[in-house]
Order: sequence, then C-alpha cells, then structure tokens
Amino acid sequence: MDGTGELRVRLRQAAPFPLSVEFSAPPGSVTALFGPSGSGKSTVLRAIAGLHRTDDALVACGGQRWTDTAAGEFLPSHRRPVGFVFQDYALFPHLTVRDQLALALGHRPPGERAARISALLALARLEGLAARKPAALSGGEQQRVALARALARDPAVLLLDEPFAAVDWALRESLRHELAALRRQVSLTVVMVTHDFDDVAKLASHLVVIERGSVSAAGTVADLTSRNAVPGLGGAREPAVALDAHVVAQDPARRLTHLAAGTLRLEVPTVPGPVGTTVRIQIGAREVILASRRPEGLSLHNILDARVLAVEPGGHDALRLVHLAVGDARLLSLVTADAVRTLGLDRGAPVLALVKAVAVEAFA
Amino acid sequence: MRRRAAIPRLLHGGAATLALIAASVASGQPSPRVAHTPPAPLIAAAADLKFALDEIIVQFGRDTGESVRVTYGSSGNLARQIAQGAPYEMFLSADEQYVQWLAARHLTRGPGELYAIGRIALFAPHDSPLRPDPRLSHLARRLSDGTAGRLAIANPEHAPYGRAAEQALRSLGLWEAARPHLVLGENVAQAAQFAASGNSDGGLIAHSLALAPELRRRGSYALIPDSLHEPLRQRMVLLVGASPTAERFYEYLRAPAGRGILAGYGLTLPGE
Amino acid sequence: MDWTALTLSIRLGLLTVVLLLPIAFLVARWLAFGRFRGRGFVEALVALPLILPPTVLGYYLLVAFGRASPLGQAFEAVLGHPLVFSFEGLLLASLLVNLPFAVQPMQNALAAIPPNLRDAARCCGLSPLAAIRRVELPLALPGIATAAVLTFAHTLGEFGVVLMVGGSIPGETRTVAIAIYDRVQAFDEASAGVMALVLLTLSLVALGVTNTLARRMAHRH
Repeated sequence: MDGTGELRVRLRQAAPFPLSVEFSAPPGSVTALFGPSGSGKSTVLRAIAGLHRTDDALVACGGQRWTDTAAGEFLPSHRRPVGFVFQDYALFPHLTVRDQLALALGHRPPGERAARISALLALARLEGLAARKPAALSGGEQQRVALARALARDPAVLLLDEPFAAVDWALRESLRHELAALRRQVSLTVVMVTHDFDDVAKLASHLVVIERGSVSAAGTVADLTSRNAVPGLGGAREPAVALDAHVVAQDPARRLTHLAAGTLRLEVPTVPGPVGTTVRIQIGAREVILASRRPEGLSLHNILDARVLAVEPGGHDALRLVHLAVGDARLLSLVTADAVRTLGLDRGAPVLALVKAVAVEAFA
Repeated sequence: MRRRAAIPRLLHGGAATLALIAASVASGQPSPRVAHTPPAPLIAAAADLKFALDEIIVQFGRDTGESVRVTYGSSGNLARQIAQGAPYEMFLSADEQYVQWLAARHLTRGPGELYAIGRIALFAPHDSPLRPDPRLSHLARRLSDGTAGRLAIANPEHAPYGRAAEQALRSLGLWEAARPHLVLGENVAQAAQFAASGNSDGGLIAHSLALAPELRRRGSYALIPDSLHEPLRQRMVLLVGASPTAERFYEYLRAPAGRGILAGYGLTLPGE
Repeated sequence: MDWTALTLSIRLGLLTVVLLLPIAFLVARWLAFGRFRGRGFVEALVALPLILPPTVLGYYLLVAFGRASPLGQAFEAVLGHPLVFSFEGLLLASLLVNLPFAVQPMQNALAAIPPNLRDAARCCGLSPLAAIRRVELPLALPGIATAAVLTFAHTLGEFGVVLMVGGSIPGETRTVAIAIYDRVQAFDEASAGVMALVLLTLSLVALGVTNTLARRMAHRH
C-alpha cells in the first residue's frame, strides 16, 4: 500500500463538546497534537481513524477522501489504511502476539502473511515472544506489540494516542528511541496525541496545539519552539528550541561531533552515527549565555554570532527572554533584565551566543 | 503447527454438536401429526378414573394389541382444553354437562353416552383422628368442638366430584363449618393425594379412587349416600377427528370387558 | 422413570438453546453496545419473565397464541394443528420465557469487553461481522456458555407455563416436571422420586458449571 500523502483534517461539532479543528500533516511528518487533558485531542485522532463521527468533517489522505460530510462519504474504520496504537494498547487478551499480528494482516494475501509477521516481529524486537499472550508480557513489550500490530496494517497514517503515558520515565525514554528508530526504517505519516511536551520536542516535526476544542497554534516544531510560541506551556517548561540537525563530521580524537541545523553549527559530545545521521537537538534558553566580547579560557565549544530579534518578559520580574537570529536559525536566551541593560541588548544589536557543548540535548 | 483459532474451533464444534443432538432427538421422536404411523390416540379422562382406566388400558392392549395415551384432569379443565384445540380424541367426563357443552360447539361426535354414575366417599388415612362414617357424624363432632384438621376436596369450580362434595356437606349443614378447613385439589385425584398424605384429616373423594389398592392400604373410607348430592352422571364421547383406534377403545368401554373393570371400581350404571 | 418425558424435556431444552441463543446474542449485543433512548425499557422487558409468575406468563401466552387469536390461527394454518397443547407451542413459550436467562449473561460478558478492544478490532481491518467472530465471541464465550446452561436447566424445570400452554399430553407436552406432578397424583412416589432426583442432579450440575464459568470469566487471560 503506497502510503503517504498529505493528511488533511477538518472537524466541527457542537455536541457532546464543542470542537473546531483544522490542520494538515505533510507526508512523512510526525505531527503532534498537543494540549491539556480534555482538550479534544483524542477525539480528533479517533475521528481520523473513523471511530468518531462529527456533523461536519473532512478527513482526506493523499487523494483519498475518508470522511466528507458535505459529499455524504464515510469510509468505515476497517477499510482505512490506518494503524492505531491505543493508550492502553488494547491488545486482544485471548490472542498470542503472532495471532494479534495475523489478525491485522487481513488485507494481505494469505501466502504473504507468515513472512510479514516475521518481519514485524524483527522490526519491533519481539522475536521469542511470538507465542505469548498479552498477560505474559511486560508493559514495554505490550507497547511494541501494539506498535507492530498497527504497522501490520501497512498504514498510510500511524495514529498514536498518548503512547508513553502509561509508562515510567526510563521506559518512556527507551520507547521514544524505539519510535525514532522505527521512523528511520519505515517512512510514514505519524499523528501523535500527547500532553507531554518532551514527546513533542524529541519526536515531532510538526505541532498542532489544541486547547478547549480548537487549534491555538500550528506549525513546525522548530519554528514554534524557536519563537517560544507554544501556547499552554506557560511556566511549566523552560523555553527551549527544538531543531533537527544532522551529523556533518565526527571527531573521534576529541570525542566530539559536529552538527549542522540549517545555518547553525554546533560541537557536541560524541553522537554516534555516520555523516548524515539526523539528530533532534534541544537547546534550553537557560543554557545560552550572551556576551558582548569573545571570551577566552572558558570550557566553551560553541560561540555563535547572533543578532537580537526581540526581548520579551521572561516569566519573572527580573528575567528577560531574548530572541536571537543565528544566520537563518533562531535561538532563545533567558537572562536577567540587568544583563539586558548592561549589554545593551536592543533590537538588531549584535551579540555572541555561548552554548556549552554539554547543554545541547541530542536525541537520536 | 498453528494453534491459532483453537477457541473459535471449539465454538464451531460445540455448536455443531448441539445442533446435531437436537436434530437427532427431534427427528427421533415423531410429532404425533407428522409421523406416518399414527401414534396412540389421546384420551382425556376425569381424574376419578385414574386407576380404573389405567387398568382398562392395559387390558385393552392385551386384548387388541393397540394402545392409547391418557391425560387425567378435572372435567372442567379438560373440556376447556378441548375447546382450545387440545388434540384429544375421546373425553370421559365426570359430569355430562361438559360433554353437552362441547357437543353444542360441534366438537363431539354426537351426544356420547353415560358410562357410570359416580359416588363420593369420605376417606381418612389410618393414623388420622377422623373416623369415616356415611353421615359424617364424627366429622361433624370434630368440626363443632374445634378439633377438626384439614379436609381435602376437589375444586368445586371445575371438578364435578368437588361440587358433589360441597353439595353433600351443605346437605348435612356442615359446609360453613367445614369451609375454613378445606384443602382444594385441582382435580379429585389430587384431592385424594392430599387426603392420603397424612397432612390432613382426610377428604371427600371419588368412591372409585377410595376402592383402588393404593388408597385401600393407606386408610379407610365410608360411602356417602347419593341422596346427599346431585347425581354424578358420567358421560363419555368421541371427539371430532377420532381415529379408528379411539373408536375401538370407546366400544371396549361399552363391552363386558370394560364394564367389568369399571364395576370393580364402583363405577356402574343403574341396572348393573 | 418416564423416559418419554425425560426425552421430551431434553429435546425441549436443547431446541430452546439452539434457537434462542443466536437471537439472544443479537439482543445482548444491542443492549451491551447500543446507545439509544429506551434501552432501560427494553432491558426491563427482557427481564420481565424473571419476575412474572409463570401463570401470568402462561395466561398471556394463551391469550396471544390461543385458537381464538390471530397469531394462533396463523400458526394453525401453517402447522396444521393448534399451537397450544403442542410441542411447538411449548417451544415458543420456552423461547419467550427464557429470554432473560439467555440475554443477561451474554450481555454482561459483552459489556465487560473494554470498548477499546472493539475499536482496536475495527482499526485492525476487521469488518463488524469479522470482529464479532474473532473478538467478541471468543471473549464472551463464558457468558455464552452460562446462557446456554442456564437456559437448558431452566427449561427443564419450567412448570407453570408448560402446564397452562401445553397441558400434560404424554409424548407431546408432558415434560419431566409435569410428569413428577402427575406421578405424585397417581400415588407413584417411587417414580416421582426418581425423576425429581434426576432434575435435582441436573440443576446442581448446571449450577456448578455456571459457577466455574463465572470464576473463569473473572480470571481469564
């Protein structure tokens, strides 16, 4: 099934609760639906899958219209090429792992199914567990089964509903890595519902913020984070820029890796992988020091020429959030109001942005 | 190899087995209307004939090689069932008015004929404090001094023998006193069962039942004078659609063999 | 021991189960998963035979299917004989009277299936029919088995309705329960005792099976 086209979604309903959402997910992207609990994100996801119907809806993938209330069209869920990973995994308790996957392969000719099951088991690192039933699996294993089952559908769109919510932090991190690795192997459009911005920062390429049933912001993660324009984060999270970077060069002697994100060039502690490997990096605003003069004798690797774009309040009387342009990339820096005054950080002023190599969080 | 679908297979197997059993049992028992060999005709008989008719049926089988099936009940109940289409071929009523009622509805072959004049008896089990006598004097004494226990009769509403029992009690002026002590049987056989069970003092039941060995060995009885109640004119009739076997059974009851057995249970016609 | 009556009772029980269970499954599904106004009313209607005295049921069945009724006449035209006092009439009464015994265990079993699982089935490409076959039925199996056992056992023991609608016609409507009543009236305690013991044993076995199934439902998977 050739999958990926652009996913277009438009939903409107008055009851049981008001919903007015419209967005597009480019092919191959990971679009996060982010917002507080009860904002309607899961409903949107279910509507994409055809599990929820609203009075006024359009769901189209590539050229195919799955839901079009205006034209009276509705493709039932079981005919849509979607894979759905439920929050509690929804594994069938009476089926072994192998049978769960077999169940989802109904669209494939019987002769191909065995091979496909083996491939999926390998992909999700489930070999050896094929004969187990869900009750005999750990939480992480169950999630991988749910993921494999969703992928068995050869979906055009993979839908994840709070995939990491039910899981402890360590497991969550390892599962994020799994998902990232999976995306490198299988290119498909992913729509992910989450209320944890870490998921967004580490995995998503696009972001749709849904608050109280409507979209309050939409765009690429890089753009929204670097402009600190994500509503609903408030003071809960330190402003940080999330960018996709790739490995430009490896420096094994110094145990450093050179990364490039657009025009941004950074040195970071070794990130394994050949040249060209994509890495998601986050740079917290607190980690960016501003200087008017190039310093010496510091443990700094990254001294970047920047220009002040804007200065806005930093969540506290004495703090300021400075928006910087580094070439055509953007950075944020959280400093004291005093520093702003002392350094003369007005709009357009040139300044040096100092970023510790260690401060660049790389997620591969 | 593939252990999958074990449960669905079990389900299919179970359902198939069930269906197979049901089909085989269902087909093994021919419905009386679908079989090619007609099943034994069904006779509706008043409950007082319980032992007498059972004996006649056995004898009929020996003499002719044919069999009939019988359902006992109160005459009123049976008449109602016949009117509602119950598949009886012959009706032996303890009260001819039910036969006449059915005849008026064109459900019978003619008016039928009398086969017996019934009598009632007071029956008391061996360990009962009640001593039966034809004028119910001991019963009357127990009723007046307040020591009387329960007394079983058939339901006068639809059982002729129950009606006769009520008439007898009224004739003796005992009805009002006896009423609170009465246990009503759905038919006179059930009344007899109540009477013999030891949970009552006794009962006013059919003479034919009191003469049966089953009751004989459980207690004693006294025949109640027929002047105390309206005659129990017991009439039998063939019903519309009766089969030749039923006709033969009808004739058997009129013949000496049948009449002889009936006489043994006190079921005679005047002149016998 | 009245073998005819026993065979008749077993035949009635099996046929009731085989015919009623598919219908009851659909009703149970509708009640378990349907979201419609008046659902409570339908549930009460289904549960009615549990509470109504059997004679009330028998009375209304006679009114509805007796010779004088349009339904009764329609049946008579098809069957060639009246519905009342026939095995077919008993079967029909049995189907109606056993509705709650068949529907409720299955409804409970189906309602216990997490709604996510049904959504997951659809998202796994299963058509509604395939989802019933491969997800709902296997998961509701203990409930279905309970429904079958309860319906069978209850049919064996049904007395009031059988007597009113069927009479006591040997080989046709005289079930074991009626036969016991009949034997007692005939002072044949031995026969009555044997049959009563058989029914008692069957009931105990039925209870044992349903209890085991209930426990298995709780500990499944």
